[in-house]
Amino acid sequence: MHRRVFLLAISLTGIAAPMAQAADESLHAAIDRLIDAKAGDTAKAPAADDAEFLRRVMLDLAGRIPTSAETARFLDDKTAAKRDVLIDSLLAGEDHPRRMQELFHAMLMERRGEHAEWTKFLRHAFAKNLPWDQLARAMLAPDSADENLRGAAYFLTARLTKEGAMAPVDVPGLTRDVGRLLAGVDLGCAQCHDHVSIDDYKQVDFQGLHMIFENMQSRGGGTFPAVTERVMQKDREFHSVFTMDPRTTGLRIPGAGDVPIQTFPKGEEYSVAPDRKAKTPGVLKFSPLKELAQGLAAKGNPLFARNIVNRLWFVMMGRGLVEPLDLFHSANPPSHPQLLDRLATEFTAHDFDIKWLLGQLARTGCYQRSSRLPGEAPLPEAKTYAVANQKRLSAEQLFWSTMIATGEISRLKPKPATGLEQVVAETESLAALQKQFLKTFSNPPREPEVDFAPTVKGALYLMHDKSVLALLKPQSGNLVERLSTLDDTGKMAEALFLAVVSRRPSTSDREAVGRLLEKKVGVARGEAIGQLAWALLTSTEFCVNH
Amino acid sequence: MSHCRSWEHDWSRRRMLGVLAAGSVGAGGVGAAGLGGLLQPAMADELARNDKQILLIWLDGGMSQLESWDPKPNTPFGGPFRSIPTTLPGIHVSELMPKLARQMKRLAVVRSMKTEDANHSSGVPKIMRGHPRNRGVPYPFFGSAVAKLMGPTASGLPPYVWVKPGNGGFISKHAGFLGARYGALALGDGKPPPNLVRPDSISSDADRVRQELRKKFNRQFADRRQGAFNEANSYVYDVAQILMKHVELFDEKQLKETDRQRYGTHDLGRHMLLARRLIEAGVRFVQVTSYGWDTHGDNFNSHASRMPKVDQSVSALIEDLFDRGLDERVLVVVMAEFGRTPRINGSVGRDHWPNAWSVAMTGCGIRTGTVVGETLPDGTDVKTTPYDIGHMFHTWFSAVGLDSAKAQYTNGTQPLPIAHDDMHKVDELLS
Repeated sequence: MHRRVFLLAISLTGIAAPMAQAADESLHAAIDRLIDAKAGDTAKAPAADDAEFLRRVMLDLAGRIPTSAETARFLDDKTAAKRDVLIDSLLAGEDHPRRMQELFHAMLMERRGEHAEWTKFLRHAFAKNLPWDQLARAMLAPDSADENLRGAAYFLTARLTKEGAMAPVDVPGLTRDVGRLLAGVDLGCAQCHDHVSIDDYKQVDFQGLHMIFENMQSRGGGTFPAVTERVMQKDREFHSVFTMDPRTTGLRIPGAGDVPIQTFPKGEEYSVAPDRKAKTPGVLKFSPLKELAQGLAAKGNPLFARNIVNRLWFVMMGRGLVEPLDLFHSANPPSHPQLLDRLATEFTAHDFDIKWLLGQLARTGCYQRSSRLPGEAPLPEAKTYAVANQKRLSAEQLFWSTMIATGEISRLKPKPATGLEQVVAETESLAALQKQFLKTFSNPPREPEVDFAPTVKGALYLMHDKSVLALLKPQSGNLVERLSTLDDTGKMAEALFLAVVSRRPSTSDREAVGRLLEKKVGVARGEAIGQLAWALLTSTEFCVNH
Repeated sequence: MSHCRSWEHDWSRRRMLGVLAAGSVGAGGVGAAGLGGLLQPAMADELARNDKQILLIWLDGGMSQLESWDPKPNTPFGGPFRSIPTTLPGIHVSELMPKLARQMKRLAVVRSMKTEDANHSSGVPKIMRGHPRNRGVPYPFFGSAVAKLMGPTASGLPPYVWVKPGNGGFISKHAGFLGARYGALALGDGKPPPNLVRPDSISSDADRVRQELRKKFNRQFADRRQGAFNEANSYVYDVAQILMKHVELFDEKQLKETDRQRYGTHDLGRHMLLARRLIEAGVRFVQVTSYGWDTHGDNFNSHASRMPKVDQSVSALIEDLFDRGLDERVLVVVMAEFGRTPRINGSVGRDHWPNAWSVAMTGCGIRTGTVVGETLPDGTDVKTTPYDIGHMFHTWFSAVGLDSAKAQYTNGTQPLPIAHDDMHKVDELLS
């Protein structure tokens, strides 16, 4: 192993054994022990109440808010283990593969575009709960023969398209993204010289990874994305723009070090020769992409597991243990080194089982804390996790939640067995609305969706767009129509708050509703109910996961 | 002439640090900074009184200095165009800009720009960021920096508006480490953001009622929670409602025909006229971009067709600013990511040339009627003291009342200078 990689691996590995650890301590118990130990006497929020927990865990694991009925059922359920039961049922439920597909699409493609084969790959992967290392290998060394997994090639091919006259195909950008997204190391600034401010990131790391993608191209002609590689025959030559010293490197894989190039006599490079007539690319005896896939997505690779557990931790807890998510290096240590080590070790031991990890994270007291801290104490920093961190809703989460809240799904659902997606896909106006939501609330292409970044465009859309406003006009079976039939203002308020913000109204909520509706009857009352529903839909409480 | 000398606005280091720390956000964090809300009262007053504005005209791809501010006729690299005298005795510019030649006494031109990067992809952000010393964080572009350091004017309009051809949207990446909120509101082809007009189905009373309810629910939600998310979410609604009050800005029917003809009916003319109106309405920083200046081929015909549009629209703008007294508080900068090579290539083009190029500016205490620096007779290099973009940033910050030698950003706990710490303002450019 190359000396520097060795150092990087050491610095990322927990050294001291966690204290007071029971032999059979579960991961979620270990998380709480380590988080609480570090937080010390920081003022901590109490446990989230059932409504707060339900909304959060539904958004995280099902990608949508609960329906009024789901909320009422959960709040009225008196069984002690109901939170654990809910977590398990959500992970096994029909929403979960869709949520994971949407989450990983945004994370891995960063809004570069869509491809039906890529969607199919993600959906298949999460429906079958395929392990993360298998997904990563499918993306890095795509197998065209596997109909379910071949769409993974889109991860590579979408990054090999031309972005316009001034921006040719950005192969260095692909190299950078593989490091960022699959190993947590952004080598982008080490392309032309060693990184000037991060000692761990060397130009040779970039060049040794980059040569793999320089040797590859999109294979056109099919209905599915695919790539092909050339025979790699020699080391890459490069030099630093600072020193101009000529250097060479073979393949270098983040977290795994050097892979020497194997060469074969001319004519013997393939185990299965390419066939021009049949348009098959052949099978190389030495495939740099396969070397990368096997070296990176491997149990022994310290960066591979740490990157993904840090990203899933971020998804659930609102802040990475290492931040930014793609800057793992020895001068940027995790906030909780032992915890990151433990997460990575156990995730690897569980064969990179994402569903298992999410279930463990959801069970922690840390995840189940309130985002509100009563009393007078100063609000603690996000990295203490002493108060639940607020999280951005993705455009998808916002769309499905809006559909649920406004009663659009219940209005249209012809039979109970029809899923959300089917209802929207079969309703032209809703399919158009879904597209518009994604366009309005996603980041521009190539910008990671990490921070909460509301926009003026989004505000104006919710304020004025006719299709959005139509959701709040009474139509048989939708929320506003249902509320308009409730003459008792108290009951109306309860139904409204349960539907939109997934909780029962507080005393002051009830007073506000009462004041607005006082002496209003008929059309005026209906309009006021529409205004209340709009105000809740655009409130911060609805627009974030808290 | 000058009404905003930098010493009048010198802030003590301690006070400046206090403000910036109070208004700072973590790297990549949500824009939690309160514009006003979090400022110390005394400083908020001082900022509120600062009515300086900036208009940046960006000629993307790299306008040729030889076909504009620094012609070298009758030299091996001079090209086919003549030079013409200007309202500044002894100073000539390219014959492609006769109207600007008449405005030269109102301009300052630096002919001794020498910068580092000859690539578009890295050169544009370097120039836009003032190329500070690398500290491992992405610095904000000029507009985002001003949005952060000065905030909106009393108009409440978004502080950084970008008028550009093509698509609009909110361009958060300009904000760098400051956080998304300080990005640019981009008006694609000068068009307003979609949905700016309230539909007839909602009366203004009904709108007021629902907005008040939204605010009430938000206040209740924010109680004893981290405030950044609610602040950011509330802010975009506030900006949306302020923009709605200025909907007439986007109504081209309200433009005077004489103005349309003076600025030109081409994209750059229309966009420049909108920029003037945005400045008049109180936008703190307006950027107008013209694309397509990367003339590796057919440089001379390209400039022959492009320069008149710049000449027409920029000279009309300068006339208006001076006629209205706006030059006293509006800084105008005309620049690109670099100039173009003196050597004429095989495609009758000029390539990228950061080694010796020109930038023009005026307003807000810039010493007008000034030409700073000189290039060699063949234009290949700077003959006098070379200036980097960092020197310009110090100069421009000074013109708008920010002491860039002292002011700092705070990124988490890391203090960061707002302009390159080895560089300084160019006193010759300031009156």
